[in-house]
Amino acid sequence: MNARHSTLAHPTRLALAAALALGSSTAFAQSATEAELARRLDQLAAELAAVKAQLAVLQQQRNNAPPAAVPAPAAAAIAPAPASASAPTAAPAPEAVPPATVLSSYGEINYNHPTGSAKDSQADMRRFVLGFQHRFDAKTKVVTELEVEHGVASADDPGEVEVEQAYIERQLTPAWAVRGGLFLIPLGLLNEYHEPTSFYGVERNFVETAIIPSTWREGGVQFVGNLDNGLTLQAGLSTGFDLTKWDAASTEGSESPLGSIHQELALAKARDLAVFGALNWRGIPGLQLGGGLFTGNATHGQAVTTGRVTLWDLHARWTPGRWDLAALYTRGTISNTAALNTPLVGNPTLIPKSFDGAYVQAAYKLWTYEDYALSPFLRWEQFNTAKSFADLGPGITPAAARSERVVTLGANFQVTQGVVIKGDVQRFRENKDANRVNLGLGWSF
Amino acid sequence: MRLAVLAPAALAALAAAPSSVFAVDYLSADQAAALMFPDADRFELREWNLDASQMQALQSQGVRARSAHWTARAALRGTNVLGVVVVDEVIGKFELITYAVGITNDGAVKQIEVLAYRESHGHEIRLPAWRRQFVGKTAAAPLRVGEDIANISGATLSCSHVTEGVRRIVAVVDLARKAGALPS
Repeated sequence: MNARHSTLAHPTRLALAAALALGSSTAFAQSATEAELARRLDQLAAELAAVKAQLAVLQQQRNNAPPAAVPAPAAAAIAPAPASASAPTAAPAPEAVPPATVLSSYGEINYNHPTGSAKDSQADMRRFVLGFQHRFDAKTKVVTELEVEHGVASADDPGEVEVEQAYIERQLTPAWAVRGGLFLIPLGLLNEYHEPTSFYGVERNFVETAIIPSTWREGGVQFVGNLDNGLTLQAGLSTGFDLTKWDAASTEGSESPLGSIHQELALAKARDLAVFGALNWRGIPGLQLGGGLFTGNATHGQAVTTGRVTLWDLHARWTPGRWDLAALYTRGTISNTAALNTPLVGNPTLIPKSFDGAYVQAAYKLWTYEDYALSPFLRWEQFNTAKSFADLGPGITPAAARSERVVTLGANFQVTQGVVIKGDVQRFRENKDANRVNLGLGWSF
Repeated sequence: MRLAVLAPAALAALAAAPSSVFAVDYLSADQAAALMFPDADRFELREWNLDASQMQALQSQGVRARSAHWTARAALRGTNVLGVVVVDEVIGKFELITYAVGITNDGAVKQIEVLAYRESHGHEIRLPAWRRQFVGKTAAAPLRVGEDIANISGATLSCSHVTEGVRRIVAVVDLARKAGALPS
């Protein structure tokens, strides 16, 4: 690379000399005098320069693209580049035009070791995701992600294959774009930025798993505005949850109430649609303040009454210097749960009326060398998947769950941009059997 | 960082200027240059090549040289050189970000302008508050996200790559001036 580009005269001569010595005629090289050889080299170099210049003109004509970095409208005011033997083409320094199609991927391989129960240790190909982005034209692109969870998906295996994102985005104006298809819901800090290189800790935080499901996506239409004052506005209409599939006999609903009734656009019931909106402000470098709201009926005319699911969040992230500080609060409610729960009485997991969670997190980039970066972090979180139940009468109304508190202490070690090794220790206040040590390897590009 | 599926097509167009056709173009290179040096009465294109020792010097500063061939616009008023403007492109997450860096004669960044941004996230790098962080930085500054440049949440790659690009341009212009390839 260096030899090819560093200077014009010398590498060219060297290359030509090598070509002559190897490829042309051994007899010639042996018989020609040094002066003759040098003269011929100069002649060839001059011819090569002329060919390069012609090639550049031809390519310029063929591409016929409106140049951004070469003077067009104000050409008269700009003197031509000084003639120089070191400028064979008019190509500027920047890279090539962007490719229309780009592949992307992220993945997580995790190891969980419960400290009180080593026999339950597990290693898992948690997520393997392949995606692509393709531009149809200047303003229109498709974005997709296809995910395999837990390594193998079959009737006898625990894995799942999921389409995580598949939407078309059309730029309407410099500030506004519209998306249609299957997209991520803009709630919280993690859901839209869920790649392992984007969050601290081996596992995603509990609040943005149990209360805000992740990776949470819906089908619909979404408008995105990026305003010059630092505000990003997102709003849309989409599919929502399905309360009719609440499984009161399992504990799934107590682990993540909304995670157990999301539809993921898999033959999603769509009589009732939801609306959502999010507002984020990043007007001060390093600071993000925002919030989001999602609300919609979730019974689709198939239950004894209507039940509306509403979830909102407020969040902040501040990254002064080497610090990365984050805080989030989220709360969800489901309406008419008394009527919805009546036929389910006797089962272990009734539909909660409310659930919430919050966390604060601090990370510090302690050490860097070239692309290596070590960032220890500490996260405190509290969440309750059944904060309250609607009154069903004495002796029948379930007791609210106790809030779980989890402290996570660990570090992300960036090997290079896009590759991360993680390790952490998690301590639970309520369910002490869940205390564990985690190790993880992740990538994203 | 990523795999360009249609690389041959991109290579075929290599000799062209950076594409201005994708997504949102905010400024042309000439508009950006005029914005940065409003006192200039003309701009002259200057081209130069880094030699092997200069490439090594960059490497030793922790700067990936990327290309040996460089182009800048010298801002002139009469015979006085006011500074230079370098237009460059870096990859954000999936797509190219086109930006311009104006550098004064003392090697300090005068202004950054984003000419085109194509990613779905991270438009905030266009905000004056983020770009102002670079003003006055020289080749002696760290010019690193998480050091002297604050990140934008959700646009880490765009921030990192533009910052890395500015660091490269400041170092390259510094070297070119010392070697006499650029006026100072």
